[in-house]
Amino acid sequence: MCGGVSQINHFSPRLLCPWYFVTTIGTLTRTPGLFYLKNVSTALFLLCKMVGEKAKKPDTKEKPAAKKAGGDAAGAAKKGDPKVKKPKKGRPHCSRNPGLVREIGRYSQSAMYSRKVLYKRKYSAAKTKVEKKKKKEKVLATVTKPLGSNKNGGTWVVKLRKMPRCYPTEDVPRKLLSHGKKPFSQHVRKLRASITPGTVLIILTGCHKGKRVVFLKQLGSSLLLVTGPLALNRVPLQRAHQKFVIATSTKVDISKVKIPKHLTDAYFKKQQLRKPRHQEGETFDTEKEKYEITEQHKADQKTMDSKLLPKIKAVPQLQGYLRSQFSLRNGFFETGFLCVALEPILALWRPGWP
Amino acid sequence: MSGRLWCKAIFAGYKRGLCKQRGHTALLKIEGVYARAETEFYLGKRYAYVYKEKNNTVTLRCKPNKARVIWGKVTKAHGNSGMVHAKFRSNLPAKVIGHRIRVVLYPSRI
Repeated sequence: MCGGVSQINHFSPRLLCPWYFVTTIGTLTRTPGLFYLKNVSTALFLLCKMVGEKAKKPDTKEKPAAKKAGGDAAGAAKKGDPKVKKPKKGRPHCSRNPGLVREIGRYSQSAMYSRKVLYKRKYSAAKTKVEKKKKKEKVLATVTKPLGSNKNGGTWVVKLRKMPRCYPTEDVPRKLLSHGKKPFSQHVRKLRASITPGTVLIILTGCHKGKRVVFLKQLGSSLLLVTGPLALNRVPLQRAHQKFVIATSTKVDISKVKIPKHLTDAYFKKQQLRKPRHQEGETFDTEKEKYEITEQHKADQKTMDSKLLPKIKAVPQLQGYLRSQFSLRNGFFETGFLCVALEPILALWRPGWP
Repeated sequence: MSGRLWCKAIFAGYKRGLCKQRGHTALLKIEGVYARAETEFYLGKRYAYVYKEKNNTVTLRCKPNKARVIWGKVTKAHGNSGMVHAKFRSNLPAKVIGHRIRVVLYPSRI
């Protein structure tokens, strides 16, 4: 309903509002991104509310305005509600102003004032200039740093905020607001229902392909933390990707096993090996930095193994099962084998089977 | 050493009408799959046509070797007898018709 920027452009504010409001609308639209997608009547309403208050906090006002801008039929259903006192502060309410026609509310601004019980809502009083001055910390513009030598007074002044090195030749227009585009760290992480802590997984890619490992937990980046354990099949504590793993129906009970909290994605991240800087005459002499397993990794592996191995040994034949590798054999057709029953359950497995 | 982790399939031909064939989509016959209902497991799985050439090619993890791959993935079922459509990153060469294609088990959905 609230259109994009193009709609706002057609809807000239000057037609609707008196001239003395135009300037304030101008300031509102300059606040980053907030008012591009709101319709003009909302902006008008906000202006009226803000008379007497500083316009410096438009974002807090924006939320109630957003509710108002709905104008749906749902608003009509809530007509009775505004009279009810809401003990909690700041609980969002749907629009109290059902729309007659698009972008025109049923109630006037003064009626809305009563409906929203604004005379009871107390916003924090605007700080006086003196108070603001006191609170504002002096932002340092420069820092004095000592010099190595005694010359030039022994110190030099460094600017904290430097001038930009270059300016773009064209003014780049501000990007439109996008919706729902989250960075990777905020993505929703999913996990297949067949994968639970303690499930035996078959790794399909990498140097450990075909090996059966125990799933410990899902990390923040949605990768799975697995371990061989190392003693059984030489698979260390490492990450695996859900898509490149088959979950079997065999599960180890690791509910009592505590997984150390420091095993996160940062712990497993690939270390950037420093490439040697070639100097004259030494091109072939410098050695490459090799990847070495850190002591921390070794220690963590040991503790995890010591916790897991007793649980694995408690289940008959599970140890041998984890040591064996999965592969497809002639005559075993995958659809029957894998998709109907996840894997032959442990009771049926015999050493030597895939 | 791990054994075979891929399913056997044959490149049966290209997607085609009677007179025209569309080289961008291949038809694969997967061993053991002979009904449309059974192809559901393979949808989305990656396929590889592996072949060897005279010159060495660089590989990611091993030393350079002579094997080369064309990767693709299965897109949908074809007909009622377990055939499957697959699209490769580059079209399969026609001389491969009747030859082995490997169906790997990833991306896995089970």
